[in-house]
Amino acid sequence: MPLDPRRVPGPEESQPPLLYAAPGQAAAADEAEAEAGALRPLLARAGLLSQAEGSAYVELAGGTKVLCAVRGPREAAEGRGRLLCDFRRAPFCARGARPRPGPAAAARERELGLALQEALAPAVRLARYPRARLELTALLLQDGGAGLAAALCAAALALADAGVEMFDLVVGCGLCRAPGPAAAWRLQPSAAQERAAAARLTVALLPGLGQVAGLLGSGQGGPPESWAQAVRLGVEGCQRLYPLLRRSLLRAAERRAGLPRGLPPPERDPPDRPPPPEGPARPPPPDRP
Amino acid sequence: MGQLQRGGSGPDNKPLRREEPLLRAPGPHSAPCRETSAPPGQHPPKGQMGEEGARKCVPPGTGSRSRRGGSGTMAAGFKTVEPLEYYRRFLKENCRPDGRELGEFRTTTVNIGSITTADGSALVKLGNTTVICGIKAEFAEPPAESSNKGYIVPNVDLSPLCSSRFRPGPPGEEAQAASQFIADVIENSEIIMKEDLCIANGKLAWVLYCDLICLDYDGNILDACTFALLAALKNVQLPTVTINEETGLAEVNLKQTNPLNIRKHPVATSFAVFDDTILIVDPTAEEEDLATGTVTIVMDEEGRLCSVNKPGGSGLTAAKLQDCITRAVTRHKEVKQLIDKVIKSVK
Repeated sequence: MPLDPRRVPGPEESQPPLLYAAPGQAAAADEAEAEAGALRPLLARAGLLSQAEGSAYVELAGGTKVLCAVRGPREAAEGRGRLLCDFRRAPFCARGARPRPGPAAAARERELGLALQEALAPAVRLARYPRARLELTALLLQDGGAGLAAALCAAALALADAGVEMFDLVVGCGLCRAPGPAAAWRLQPSAAQERAAAARLTVALLPGLGQVAGLLGSGQGGPPESWAQAVRLGVEGCQRLYPLLRRSLLRAAERRAGLPRGLPPPERDPPDRPPPPEGPARPPPPDRP
Repeated sequence: MGQLQRGGSGPDNKPLRREEPLLRAPGPHSAPCRETSAPPGQHPPKGQMGEEGARKCVPPGTGSRSRRGGSGTMAAGFKTVEPLEYYRRFLKENCRPDGRELGEFRTTTVNIGSITTADGSALVKLGNTTVICGIKAEFAEPPAESSNKGYIVPNVDLSPLCSSRFRPGPPGEEAQAASQFIADVIENSEIIMKEDLCIANGKLAWVLYCDLICLDYDGNILDACTFALLAALKNVQLPTVTINEETGLAEVNLKQTNPLNIRKHPVATSFAVFDDTILIVDPTAEEEDLATGTVTIVMDEEGRLCSVNKPGGSGLTAAKLQDCITRAVTRHKEVKQLIDKVIKSVK
């Protein structure tokens, strides 16, 4: 691998110690991460960084930590407004080998950046920002499964925190399906489950409007009905996460305005848990403004 | 998944409810660290970025409107049009717009062990400047010229996430300079002997990849990076490795981990030089832009000087340099105290 002259030189090749671990130990480390398939609590905070117009931090219970910052609107050459998304993974985010920063890693992340942009574009009122560009950077600090889904939530919160006009928040939910004919889809998998999965799916939803903004999936999912069921499961998961994101946005706005927290009393010890799934009948989504 | 535990979740296996997230203000395990050079009789000003003139120093231009939030648009307009003059007025009164003394640091908080996928991690906040350091340990062959040494490879990442002055893509000038500075500090201060990282002479050694990512850039990046590196190195747990005699392969025992042997604790103190004469400690981004020069001094605990970094800029007399060194010694004590407190609270 050619040495990058711009970075402090290290060895040409290096291997992670996991490769040399006794097989039992590596599997045990994996199992320690596996959690139940129910929707796990989520921590979301907006308005953290001082130098960005909008910022958000989302943490899933499996350990996934994403930080997102939005800059803009900045002046662009011409044309309609553009949203530029950049998704980066920290070199220490995954349990295995450290990917070397450089062109190879950048290519891997470009697909995810594009997926992020395509999912957020329907939500942002770009027509209100002609000749401007919005730059969004998402950084995955730790990957505990469903990284792209967490990044979607963080990105939508950061855009809202920056005061960018949006139709609705985008909520992301990750699913995966273990190999095997009768395996079921599980929501918000852990990193170990994702690694062992036969198929993965990320659903991005505009919950207030009930519209799917983005869908990125791959793998052997089985018959098409299985994929349809997975999308439905993902949509339901997103609907349950929506109130948490809204609440974090309200709190950030209160903090900015310096108001005391006079809203409904904050939860005591239990972390933010999504409300239990509602019955099959759901009120129709409000009309698009 | 506590902030300060390495691997695994909290003691009762529930995610701990935190009022503030990873990046926000301190919890019980990180402490603000502040030292003021004001005489003991004076009321110590708070270290946070406050309103202009709300603390003990009143900006001369705004008269008596020194109430919190009452500095008005006159000061803000003056600041935009003549930033250097605005700063000079504060410096004449021996203070700064955010209420700090010339020799006072911003509130420092440190949080270790939050990234469980890394072998060691630390998050340092110096006022608004936030740097996270993650260390990953891997195996490699020792370098040909010194077969009994391992590697420590620092990498400072300044991206558009932290500030709009940086462009995406490969590391720019400031990031390269910062990475090289950290590499020099590691080398000169002997924080870790590279010989300690060697497992089998000529065959196998540890490589410690230290990735320092700046999350929020508000000046004084070198101090924050050095501090984050030190805290993360103290947090590293390396699995035990034995070389199997027959096969010659390494065998790793993930259950048994050992911490690194940290020999020295280098701490960096940065100063900005204004108008070739006035030295202020811990500059913010605005102050760095207006400064005519910067100096960074790295000391270790025995009062020995590890490194002085003065990239151009206005000249300094020997007396001024001596003042900087004295301040750096005091800062070292504060930082060492903070790190010891945090490490002890984790155990």
